[in-house]
Amino acid sequence: MNTRSISVRLVAWYAGLLTGIFVLLCALLYLDLRHFLENDLRQSQSRRARQLANTLLVHVKQTGEAYVASQTKDWYEPEINDRFIRITRADGTLVYVSDAPKDGSFDPAEVPIFPPSSQTEFSRKLQLSGGKTLLIAALNFKSSGNPAYLVEFGELLDPVETMLNHLFLQLALGLPLAVVIIAVGGYLLVRRALTPVEQITRAAERITQYNLSERLPVSSTGDELERLSVSLNRMITRLDDAFQNSKRFVADASHELRTPLTILCGELENIAEDPRFDGELRDRAGSMLEEAVHLGRIVEQLFTLSRLDAGEAQTEWTRFDLSELAKTTADQMSLLAEDKKISIACDAHRPILVEGDRARLKQVVVNLLDNAIKYTPAKGTIQLRVLAVNGHAILEVADNGVGIPSDALPHVFERFYRVDQTRADGSESAGLGLSIVKSICTAHGAEVEAQSTVGRGSCFRVKLRLSQN
Amino acid sequence: MRILLVEDEKKVADIIVRGLKAERYAVDVCHDGQSGWEAADTYNYDLILLDLMLPGLSGTEILEKVRRKNQQVPILILTARDGMADKIKNFETGADDYLTKPFAFAELLLRVKALLRRGPVNRSSVLRVGDLEIDRLSQNVRRAGKKIELTSKEYSLLEYLATHPGRVFSRTMIIEHVWDQSFQGLTNIVDVYVRHLREKVDDAFPVKLLRTVRGVGYSLNDETQT
Repeated sequence: MNTRSISVRLVAWYAGLLTGIFVLLCALLYLDLRHFLENDLRQSQSRRARQLANTLLVHVKQTGEAYVASQTKDWYEPEINDRFIRITRADGTLVYVSDAPKDGSFDPAEVPIFPPSSQTEFSRKLQLSGGKTLLIAALNFKSSGNPAYLVEFGELLDPVETMLNHLFLQLALGLPLAVVIIAVGGYLLVRRALTPVEQITRAAERITQYNLSERLPVSSTGDELERLSVSLNRMITRLDDAFQNSKRFVADASHELRTPLTILCGELENIAEDPRFDGELRDRAGSMLEEAVHLGRIVEQLFTLSRLDAGEAQTEWTRFDLSELAKTTADQMSLLAEDKKISIACDAHRPILVEGDRARLKQVVVNLLDNAIKYTPAKGTIQLRVLAVNGHAILEVADNGVGIPSDALPHVFERFYRVDQTRADGSESAGLGLSIVKSICTAHGAEVEAQSTVGRGSCFRVKLRLSQN
Repeated sequence: MRILLVEDEKKVADIIVRGLKAERYAVDVCHDGQSGWEAADTYNYDLILLDLMLPGLSGTEILEKVRRKNQQVPILILTARDGMADKIKNFETGADDYLTKPFAFAELLLRVKALLRRGPVNRSSVLRVGDLEIDRLSQNVRRAGKKIELTSKEYSLLEYLATHPGRVFSRTMIIEHVWDQSFQGLTNIVDVYVRHLREKVDDAFPVKLLRTVRGVGYSLNDETQT
């Protein structure tokens, strides 16, 4: 999965945002509920304390403290209701304290006598042994004519804590689950929405200069993607037109140049061979003829390229042995190499059958060898190899010559491209040899690639389908 | 020998006519398809040189019409179009040979001669140029009675030049004949082979037979005899 893809980024963004909002909401809910429940408990305790003070303690003078204590026990039954009730005098001595509740959840003896406070009503939380928390609401009762008392009502916070813990657990489990569901669902949805983009991308990848007539799929959904593919298709049409125009131009131009070239060559040939003219004139005419012939050759090569572009290589399709072709071609060119004291090592022993236009593929071998000879200094070696690898025939021409700089390497198959713009090699080639190689390979559905290290040599490799059966 | 040339490019026609007349052929020229067909229909020519792109009647149409009436006359097509499909179609219609522009006049002349004689120009089994002897059956080459060892390509090159002593062969013609179309554009291979051939055939002798005509090509002849 590509982490930079729109679908992943979109889902990550939404999931992150939703998680943030959820966590915030849950935290608010939790804290608010906790506050509310504690407050509720506190208020009910202080209400009871007030009630006790207003009904019993106001009459303590008449009834006596013992009556207050016994009435408190009877009315509130703190042992059954799991409550803590304590009444102390202002000096801290006890009037009444409830017994331990029946369920033994806490021991009232653990609750210390708190130092006197000036506040009328206050509350405090007390941590008991066993991890329990007791919430105590206290009331400082003072009325004219009566002694001051401190009334304390307490209840365990445990039920509240249990409920909050349960809520927390549910939120903690539910939140990631919700986020996962949202993320997966969102991802699937986005992926579905972006499927046409994938299709457009794949179709666009397939389109090269050789199948510009193909178009991208257009989903008739009326959305932005439809508009995009329609626009892209219009662009491809314009590219196709431009490409066709340039091809037609090359074909037309090379065609139109033929007749004037015939005239030029014919006239110059007449002069060069006519004994009535003096030697120097004939020599100059010869020199011009050389250039005219060179021009004719460029025209010829351009015409070859435009015919290959038009797919004319398919006319003479045969099955033949690539090893044998490589060997005989190397043999025919050996003198050219020997002339530069270059040796050609030919490693093509096993017959390797391929299908194609034999003459054109021979031209591939000729051009690659010629190129290697040209750019290999004296006493160099050229390796010509033909082998079969994974259902493909590989033809490899490697030399230990000057090599090609890495910035020039991607351009070597371009028309009229020269690695050395100064033409220091003294050759009269126009820089079309390798583009012809490329065009022939493309017309055969073959691939050609170049590797090179400056000063160590270059290697050209043609990968062609093996003949079936 | 009477030759009909149907070619709408006047300058191209001029060059061909001049060259053919220098070789003592009688040449009629037509500059459009209709008059070309009428001429071919009226007179008995020994050879017709036919351009394909013509105003009026096209070369292919003339070819069809001529072949319907006359199966014998050799026809050489001159064209600026050299697509494979065109070539095959015209050969099927009855063209005898095909020459693509731009061509060297030397080549046109060789083909004209070959067509007029119908068959190889020189059929003798031993070719002689000066004191050079080429035995085509055993492929033995001797000069002044001394045997010269040649590789097979060197032999093919020498034999080809020896078929027309004194005639200049362009590099393109040599490549097409001795090598094949795939070597087109690789003209330096001819120069290298000619140099090697010179070392073997000429270096040891005072009379040089292999001659370079600048810009045009190579020829083999004994200048002391002409």
